[in-house]
Amino acid sequence: MSDPSTVLVEVEDLVIKFPVRGDRKRKYITPVDKVNLNIKKGEVLALVGESGSGKTTIGRALVRLLKPTEGTITVLGKKVNEIKGKDLKEYRRVAQMIFQDPFGSLNPVKTIEGHLKFPLKKHQGYKGKALEEKVGDLLLQVGLTPVQEIRKKHPHELSGGQRQRLAIARALAVNPQFIVADEPTSMLDVSIRAGILQLMNELKRDLGLSYLYITHDLASARYFGDRIMVLYGGKVMEIAESKELIKNPLNPYTRLLLAATPGSESQIDLTNMTNDPPDLSDGRQGCPFVHRCPLATDVCREKMPALKEAVQNHFVACHRLDEREQLIDFNFAKER
Amino acid sequence: MEEKQPVLELQNVSVGYDSPAGMVQAVNDVTLKIYENTIVGLIGESGSGKSTLGNAIMRLLKNNAVLTSGTIKVLGKDIYSLNKNELRKFRWSQMSMVFQSAMNALNPVLTVEEQILDVFLSHDKNMSKTEAKMKAKELMDIVSIDPRYLRSYPHELSGGMRQRVVIAIAIALDPKLVIMDEPTTALDVVVQRSILDKIKEIQRVKKYAILFISHDFSLVSEIASQVAIMYAGRFIEVTDSKSLIPSERHHPYTQGLLRAIPHLTAEDVTIEGIPGNPPNLVDLPSGCAYHPRCPFAFDLCKKEQPQIRKVDGRDMECHLYETVQGGV
Repeated sequence: MSDPSTVLVEVEDLVIKFPVRGDRKRKYITPVDKVNLNIKKGEVLALVGESGSGKTTIGRALVRLLKPTEGTITVLGKKVNEIKGKDLKEYRRVAQMIFQDPFGSLNPVKTIEGHLKFPLKKHQGYKGKALEEKVGDLLLQVGLTPVQEIRKKHPHELSGGQRQRLAIARALAVNPQFIVADEPTSMLDVSIRAGILQLMNELKRDLGLSYLYITHDLASARYFGDRIMVLYGGKVMEIAESKELIKNPLNPYTRLLLAATPGSESQIDLTNMTNDPPDLSDGRQGCPFVHRCPLATDVCREKMPALKEAVQNHFVACHRLDEREQLIDFNFAKER
Repeated sequence: MEEKQPVLELQNVSVGYDSPAGMVQAVNDVTLKIYENTIVGLIGESGSGKSTLGNAIMRLLKNNAVLTSGTIKVLGKDIYSLNKNELRKFRWSQMSMVFQSAMNALNPVLTVEEQILDVFLSHDKNMSKTEAKMKAKELMDIVSIDPRYLRSYPHELSGGMRQRVVIAIAIALDPKLVIMDEPTTALDVVVQRSILDKIKEIQRVKKYAILFISHDFSLVSEIASQVAIMYAGRFIEVTDSKSLIPSERHHPYTQGLLRAIPHLTAEDVTIEGIPGNPPNLVDLPSGCAYHPRCPFAFDLCKKEQPQIRKVDGRDMECHLYETVQGGV
């Protein structure tokens, strides 16, 4: 166990299974398979991966919108993976979520202040003049001005960036310590994105918030994240401090992801890359990246590599770590 | 010396939407030439008019949108002077388009093969079905999909594969001009990269002129040699993509965009958003539409629309550079 005075969120062997329709028997897929992670107080952990890697599922489990199948989630020293009822309501005051789509996550018939009054009343017991004041403070805090004009509006009168600011204000209303931000900028215009990231950065600094920042964009993960965790097929492939991970990627998948990000200097040719999704079926074996990995061998097919500390504070799951230099001029293209 | 004929020539093109609130100018007085074997990027935020311009070039504008002024020439032919029959023949054989969402661009009840054959057979009445099938196989090869997927329906393919099929259909008749409207939006980074690499590879061989429409700045500056930046329906800057770095002189909006994007490898990781929001086309700000968000705006910007001016070899619409000494 890590030190409870600095660690806010501790996740051990998290497994989440979803039932899928099988032929006769009930079958499962496992989008999250034995994931361990921790987030310190005031830290941003960026969770990076493609769609289907399980990043959103982990985020939802951490705010307990989903119940984990196995494993434990400990927040502030309390296990939250099984809680319900009153305890769960109480947990909502600790952890909040910002969703990807600000067009779908707001109630179109509620006013802006209505969105904020509800959690303030329900969780914080604000009323009367104090409530009105707190709404104004929150709007100001997230940069939704002029406050008096904005508070009476409805979501459709706001731009995408303003809506996402409201979603952030709503999360802040319960005075949380931990926020799961699920691709909060991916649906916004480029010129607006930076402002939202800056706002989240300020809140982290001023309020000491911790974040799980879910994204597929390594560049923004590096900007906002203190550490980056790379996920593929429900497994942790690599985790390290942001700068270290970008500078010194060790897992072949991380290298592929980096090479694919616009603005990277890597020259790996991906023209004929297989883009088949990873196998998520329950009981699968081996490394999830094996069907795309140019370094794959039999052992990769049979056994999932354990997460090992390769450099200080830089953990990698790969059987072929020592052979990784071959990747530099290796063409990722494989026969279809 | 004879000047090469541009594949696409836009001359003072404006497109308006007829709305209850009056005519809304979605594209406003844009001029551009694209020559063969070049990729020109078109960057803009949502609502800046970039897709409208793409549709206008294809003469695919829907009923309430009209070309209000200017000419669009493809291979020297004025697209809007063609009659219906000529247009039907011209479109797709000389110019084609890759639509934004591959999900909706394909017909869900036809197999991939039927949709590709349709392109061949409706444009060449003399082609036999066997020959068309052969060509369909070749196309699948070009875009790196196993020909066995010809018999699949769109829903059986992954997003990346579907996008490859849409590209295959667009290049089926070997057009000179291909308009790509956000061909990789909604795809994963790795899939996106593999499709971009594919587009570049095809382009190298076929020497197409490509207009690549996107909102992703870093992506466009990587694939295109020249970039047009659109704001509120106007090309506020047309520049070569190599000079898209903060140290060069640019339009304040371009500068803002350059500063707003976190860079993967740069030492300096600070970013800075552009204040305010993209303008509403129904109610455009006076003068230069960017002035409410521009940190350098002065009186003239509120009053007068700036004209195109050459600044360090780049076309810009900005009052700031009208005095020789002006600079950001």
